[in-house]
Amino acid sequence: MSAKQQLINKIGLRLDGRRANELRRIRCKMGVFSQPDGSAYIEQGLTKVLAAVYGPHQTRNKQKAQHDACIINTQFSMAVFSTTDRKKRPRGDRKSIELSVLLQQALSAVIETDLYPFSQIDVYVEVLHADGGIYAACVNAATLAIIDAGIPIKEYICACTASLANDDVPMLDISHQEEILGGPTLTITALPMSEKIVLMEMSQRFHLDHLPKVLDKALEGCKDIKEILDEAVKDHVSKIGSATGWANASS
Amino acid sequence: MFTTKSFIKKNKVGHFLKHVREHYLRTDISCGVPECKKCHSENTSSLTKPSNSNNCSIFNYDHYLILDTNIILDQIDVLEEPIISNVIIFNTVYKEVKHRSLPIYKRLNTIIENPSRCFFLFINDHHKDTFVPETAGELINDYNDKCIRQAIKWYIEHLPNKKFILLTDDTKNRQLAIADNIPAYTVRDYVQNLDKKSLIEDKLSRNDLHSASEEKELFPPHLNKIELLKGIKEGSLHQGVFRASTVNFLEGFVNVDDIKEPVLVQGRAGLNRAVDGDIVAVEVFSKEQWVSPSEIILEDEDVDEQEVEEKEEILKNSTVLESEIKPTGKIVGIICRKWKQYCGILKDTSDLGLYQIFVPANKTIPKVRIQTRQVEFLKTQKLVVTIDSWPRYSRYPHGHYVRALGLIGSQQTENEVVLLEHDVPYSQFSKEVLRCLPKLPWLITRSDEEVRVDLREFDICSVDPPGCTDIDDALHCRPIDNTDTLEVGVHIADVSHFIRPGTALDLEAASRATTVYLVGKRIDMVPELLSSNLCSLKEREERFAFSCIWTMDRQANILTTKFCKSIIKSKQAMTYEEAQLIIDDKNKTDAIAQSLRHLNSLAKILKKRRLDQGALVLASTEVNIMMDSETMEPLDVKVKKHFETNSMVEEFMLLANMSVAKKILDEFPDCAMLRRHPEPPASNFDPLVKAGRHLGFDINIESNKTLAESLDKADKSSHPYLNEMFRMLTSRCMLQAVYFTSGTLQKADYYHYGLAVPLYTHFTSPIRRYADIIVHRLLAVACGADRTYPDLLNKEKSTILCQNLNYRNRMAQYAGRASVAFNTHFFFKGKLNDEEGYVLYVRKNALQILIPKYGLECTLFLAKKGETTMFQYDEERQTQSADGVTFHAFDPVTVRLQLDSSNIQHEKFILQLVKPIIRGFSVPALNDLNDGDRTESNEKRKSDEESGKNNIKKNRK
Amino acid sequence: MSQTIHIRTASQENRIRPLPSSQKNHRIFTPGEEVIKAAHTNFVRGHGTYEDDGDLKASVAGVKEQVNKLISVRPLKSRYNGQVGEVLVGRISEVQQKKWKVETNSRLDSLLQLSSVNLPGGELRRRSIEDQHMMRQYLQEGDLISAEVQSVFTDGTLSLHTRSLRYGKLGQGILVKVLPLLIKKCKIHFHNLPFGVSLILGNNGYVFIGPPINDKEGNEGGFVQNLEEVVPKETREAMARVRNCILALAKNFRMLFDTSIVFAYEESLKYNVHELLLPEAMVDVAVLTQQRLSMLENYESH
Repeated sequence: MSAKQQLINKIGLRLDGRRANELRRIRCKMGVFSQPDGSAYIEQGLTKVLAAVYGPHQTRNKQKAQHDACIINTQFSMAVFSTTDRKKRPRGDRKSIELSVLLQQALSAVIETDLYPFSQIDVYVEVLHADGGIYAACVNAATLAIIDAGIPIKEYICACTASLANDDVPMLDISHQEEILGGPTLTITALPMSEKIVLMEMSQRFHLDHLPKVLDKALEGCKDIKEILDEAVKDHVSKIGSATGWANASS
Repeated sequence: MFTTKSFIKKNKVGHFLKHVREHYLRTDISCGVPECKKCHSENTSSLTKPSNSNNCSIFNYDHYLILDTNIILDQIDVLEEPIISNVIIFNTVYKEVKHRSLPIYKRLNTIIENPSRCFFLFINDHHKDTFVPETAGELINDYNDKCIRQAIKWYIEHLPNKKFILLTDDTKNRQLAIADNIPAYTVRDYVQNLDKKSLIEDKLSRNDLHSASEEKELFPPHLNKIELLKGIKEGSLHQGVFRASTVNFLEGFVNVDDIKEPVLVQGRAGLNRAVDGDIVAVEVFSKEQWVSPSEIILEDEDVDEQEVEEKEEILKNSTVLESEIKPTGKIVGIICRKWKQYCGILKDTSDLGLYQIFVPANKTIPKVRIQTRQVEFLKTQKLVVTIDSWPRYSRYPHGHYVRALGLIGSQQTENEVVLLEHDVPYSQFSKEVLRCLPKLPWLITRSDEEVRVDLREFDICSVDPPGCTDIDDALHCRPIDNTDTLEVGVHIADVSHFIRPGTALDLEAASRATTVYLVGKRIDMVPELLSSNLCSLKEREERFAFSCIWTMDRQANILTTKFCKSIIKSKQAMTYEEAQLIIDDKNKTDAIAQSLRHLNSLAKILKKRRLDQGALVLASTEVNIMMDSETMEPLDVKVKKHFETNSMVEEFMLLANMSVAKKILDEFPDCAMLRRHPEPPASNFDPLVKAGRHLGFDINIESNKTLAESLDKADKSSHPYLNEMFRMLTSRCMLQAVYFTSGTLQKADYYHYGLAVPLYTHFTSPIRRYADIIVHRLLAVACGADRTYPDLLNKEKSTILCQNLNYRNRMAQYAGRASVAFNTHFFFKGKLNDEEGYVLYVRKNALQILIPKYGLECTLFLAKKGETTMFQYDEERQTQSADGVTFHAFDPVTVRLQLDSSNIQHEKFILQLVKPIIRGFSVPALNDLNDGDRTESNEKRKSDEESGKNNIKKNRK
Repeated sequence: MSQTIHIRTASQENRIRPLPSSQKNHRIFTPGEEVIKAAHTNFVRGHGTYEDDGDLKASVAGVKEQVNKLISVRPLKSRYNGQVGEVLVGRISEVQQKKWKVETNSRLDSLLQLSSVNLPGGELRRRSIEDQHMMRQYLQEGDLISAEVQSVFTDGTLSLHTRSLRYGKLGQGILVKVLPLLIKKCKIHFHNLPFGVSLILGNNGYVFIGPPINDKEGNEGGFVQNLEEVVPKETREAMARVRNCILALAKNFRMLFDTSIVFAYEESLKYNVHELLLPEAMVDVAVLTQQRLSMLENYESH
């Protein structure tokens, strides 16, 4: 009866061939740039994001400097070629500013800012290709970049999207196609190890009855993502470590 | 677990855009064959049950069938036969079917979902081994065929000891498949070698275009898709929905969005094989070539080519009226066919050949040529037929027989036809639905009592038509002590207590949307246990209700309004007549009588106030058909009687609906389900204004108020039925009232034109209307008695629901009328009566006559076929005159009524003029011929009728 | 000279052979991971860790280091954390009263007190108001200096000094920034390489490549800068080659010290200077250097 397209077919596969609880393929790489202190590149399906972290460094703007904590400065931008319709400008529009703020809030939750008085950490994320779950990919990329920069954080911070397929089945990691065809999308940013939710965002109004199951699914997704990121981090660290011969390591 | 494959898609949205999508290939897709050990089979669908095997005489082994897209699209009727089983559908095919035709896709889904049919959907495009990448420049069809062959090859390798057979009508694909060592056949070859072939073969769709060149091409060719799109883009062509005229088979209209008036298309070349409902491309002529719609009635009788041409000639000559000129054009191509299945019968011929002509019951649908080997049988049956194609050389479209409904003329068959034609779901309630019902005996528990207001002591009574078993409203009224105010309560059956959102019962009810009333039959929206028992507010039974309680002063001003869920116990269930008697009987002074009198006096005030605001009083020819309870034959046809109590109940229902509408809109400004009645465009009133002018009345259509006033004035004492006729005509000018979701429209559009109220909804008949259930749920949330659920607050969902409700309601209304019409015909079979009637419309070659006694509307042709008419038609004044007699609209006439059963499907009334006498045209009155034997016998019957009454409750407006 | 343009896709780059890695395997901790469960009073929380519900958890990705009771997790990559006595290369970012601020790749800008520099005219000269006014003439924003960490303040700010003839303002040359962890801690950070290039390996990851230093001059505390002097082309080429070698080693996470750079220089001679920027060449140089270093190591240990 519903005019909306069925997002999960009879066999339980989604339009792109995934099952409801499967993430898209995640590929990530840390230390992609040499200039910033930390950098990372992540692909979640076709969504591709670069992140770079500078700092902590001396706050250049004296007024902003805090004597008991460092400030986190984030900038979200989308490459003009990242969407099917060419964007007019990469940053500065309302959506970008909003996402910058959301990212800043998410990162403030994990970075141990009190260790760095009078300092500043700059986080730049750039979406190279948008195919759904942009914010989630940005958070994940920023996490990797921050870890790469050696900035202390409480734990991984991961973000994941979830939605309802056929108004019934919760599904994970929504692609752009599913975002358009399906109902409201829930984006959560969470600390997967302590299962704390940092940030939640809905794209549309959503009935409360559906929320718990979608939320659970999204949290599950965050945990899955954390596992993947963790592996990448360990891989990266041991690569540097072994190349330098664990130099300067005392043990 | 998965690998990715992204591919590039070009999409045209104004300009070219590149789309990249992921495409995951998996290793965990099961082949579906139960014996297969390589795949971990899921329990979703197992292909074979031991009882099922395919037997086809071409092969001596059991096998699995694999279908090409074209087979499913063209031969879905064959596939619906249970003899075809063990079929593997590839996802490539499945998606293509969905893309090409949604109705067939839905039917395919029903087959797949039926486990006994053993259809299995194999997701070949996400399977690691069966995925084929697209090569550059490949046509999509070739690609799909390649996918199918690749998947079959995989199957053959995967299960070497099973046989797989590809059915395809695409020659190229078949040859390629055979080259790949895949056994491939056409459907025809396959089906002809099946058992029981003679029956199933009829259902094969006929796409074989046989030797077209020999025959004369009757129709101009259609433009192809690209030309059409180009034309539409450039503005030289217009896209629209084709609507065939119901009276003239050579005429129709195309409703085009960007042209205000519908575009007229005429003649066979103009219509160019469009069938009612198709989306077509139309070319509009330049203004000089525009003509007016012919006001003649032409039927597609069985005539040869020449006569058709003659008819076209007649048509041409009758379309030169200057004043009535409409945009005219011709159909140059079909954008989308909307062919459905059609009910009808075979044309009666002595020819028992392979090819037969099928006559659809719906007059807007052309006759269809079908091929059958069971003519003898089919001739006696009502059939369902679908159209396959309409080649240029063929006068009629080609189709094939789908199924037989039953004997022609039997009431059961006719009822089924009515239901089928109007898309009314009438199957039995499924087990799952019945499982949702409460168990009997049903008792009111303490927890129920806690949450409900106890109104059991109140003197509540219900007033309904006789024989009504689904009582959904009851009333009470009592003076409040020490004040001069009254407490008035409307109690509506609490159906939403039993029908919980999301259950099978709820879904079924939502899909049915309304109870359909046919003559002698009721198609319930909810199972009988609810409709006639637990929900019905029966006399002296404790029932759950949703109450709306007002306090009013004696001038019927509402002081307070309260809504609550309650428990009531109706003291008395009355008919309108009984209630009327109680009110009128001065000796009765019990509580019920008192409260009825209060209600009645309040209702009168309410009604007056409503009318003052501009509410319209409309008339329609609703009739009751008295049925013999045993033979189920109609005994008499009568126009419904109205009592004061009818309008008493009606007033309070309106009041309740309005109060509820206000409440739910306040609470849910975005998603309240309301009902609106749009103001009809002024052009709709043309016939009314015209008719009024001829009789010297000025009908002011500026607003509903002025209209109501001018209707009141349009009365002549010499012509008692005149006012009624005006009102009847007015009701035909109206648009349909519709349900809508409040968030989707501007506030000004919420207006209910007919009732002249700014807000209206349906609350009072939840047993027979689904909209009321939704309103109940909204109201329950609003007054804290229930909680919301997602779909209730979802604007899009509600809108979709509203569309379904509106569609079903409209169809239910049509079905009801069709049923009445059929039974009226049945009643008149073999009778010959003279009846009084009135001219409703004057047409160019006929008069539309209304016979109020039976609510019948028939056509009186002014000339016999082939003869020239002796009447003079005055287009300007809308009159026909001959022999010194002039017919205007609303003129009284006497006509002889006879049922012409020569055409068994379209039995129609033949009218002959009795009065006024026109020499050479009218016939003498029956009474003069024989001394009224017939009328006497009729009267005798009337006295019996009470016993066999079977009344129908009709929508209260 | 026709220019060749080298294009390679991301996937091709991955085909470059991985470098032989050292066998030692370290346990890597990642943020949020428990380092020690229920770390009562037996341990002292060090850098890169935090306490959560009595457990000691890592807050960075790195390896565990334990000094008696002090447990810390050290991230391999991070900003420079200075220690007293380390040699730095830095850039003046601000001139303030009595001090300069120096950007040294550490978290906060380092300080160079006016009192910690050798001013012309004797080491023990009193600092006068005039000197304060003259500060910008000694060092101004953008100047590169070499210095040594004198002390570390509580907030992590480094205090520098240049009270040695080795330190001071740097002249013509190339600055290369690499990860601080790649600089091997040695006794000597000033090198005069055999092929006519001088090198300062700052512990903060800033490496300065200059023309050879003539020890006989420049005793003035290094506040002069001769930008007029033309460095011969051979020297410039050698400097560029050293720079590219350092980049090659850094890109492949090889430690930087005099031997490794000399080896890399020698191995790189088969390439033109500009060819050294190709990823293949960089890997090649790094691998060959690594092999020679391990041969040397084996030789020494025998």
